[in-house]
Amino acid sequence: MTLLANLLAIAIVLNIIESAFPIIPVPGAKLGFANIVTLVVLYIYSFKDSSILTILRVLLVALLSGKLLGPVFYMSIAGAVTATLVMGIMKKTNFFGMIGVSVIGSIFHCIGQIVAGIFVIGSTAIIWYLPIMLFLSIPSGALTGIIAKRFVATWQTWHNEIS
Amino acid sequence: MKITKNKQTNRDIVLSILLFIIAGIAYVFIQILSTESDATKAHIYYGNLSTPIVTIDFAHNNGEGRIIVNYNQEVRSQYGNYPIISEEKQTITLLGDYEIEGIRQIVVIKYDYTKKSVEIIEEQSPNNICSREGESRGKPLICLPNRIRVEFETSEDVDFTI
Repeated sequence: MTLLANLLAIAIVLNIIESAFPIIPVPGAKLGFANIVTLVVLYIYSFKDSSILTILRVLLVALLSGKLLGPVFYMSIAGAVTATLVMGIMKKTNFFGMIGVSVIGSIFHCIGQIVAGIFVIGSTAIIWYLPIMLFLSIPSGALTGIIAKRFVATWQTWHNEIS
Repeated sequence: MKITKNKQTNRDIVLSILLFIIAGIAYVFIQILSTESDATKAHIYYGNLSTPIVTIDFAHNNGEGRIIVNYNQEVRSQYGNYPIISEEKQTITLLGDYEIEGIRQIVVIKYDYTKKSVEIIEEQSPNNICSREGESRGKPLICLPNRIRVEFETSEDVDFTI
């Protein structure tokens, strides 16, 4: 429980830092480092814990940045929830490893965002942005997957040493 | 266990590369489509309303062009009247949803009848996504924090509605 709370804090910090300092030169695009935490919790805890953590992260980040209930908020929560849901299902099938699950998650993050965006602006015009979003999110999804995989591997050896 | 892990990693790599190529092709395709399309009209919308506030009619009177204001924005009187149309500067100014110190900010849209293009030249938002988009001749421009968007209409659409 304490570790989960710490992980949530890390996720919030990662989320805020990457919104403040854009590493990718494309406006609005983020590497999605907070997703590392979602993925790690999904693998070392459970789907339920991962979902709760992700929803809390989005809510708290929106609250801290003063964007709660704004148009961008609905898009980020829809994206995060869709991604977590799909990653949970993909992990269950056991067909892909962590990197694959992360890439699929990042794709559904974009799709979730776009679908919410259609409702927010009341027009399907936002679909035009999907290809560029996917093009950027696939490599970043792979990167976050690699980092999360390393984290879980380290965590497991550490965990085995204690017990 | 080790073998299945390796298999999964191989699948991961194949999946990532394959999806990246597909997304890349789709992106290039969209870019080409947006520069080649020949729009006859551009509609400027606010919020999730389905009727445009302003319509730019590029094709009117053999390319002379005209601006149609469908209705005024409903804003508190302290802000004044919007949209503001400047035929001389070729700009349309609307009031966006993005607030700085509780004051809603303006969005300035520039149009060009001969190029049949629209560009958002001034706007306040955290990432300035829509103004960095530059000139568009077919791709919609969306200012999400301001809840203002520009959508194009091509001649095929006109035939379809008639």
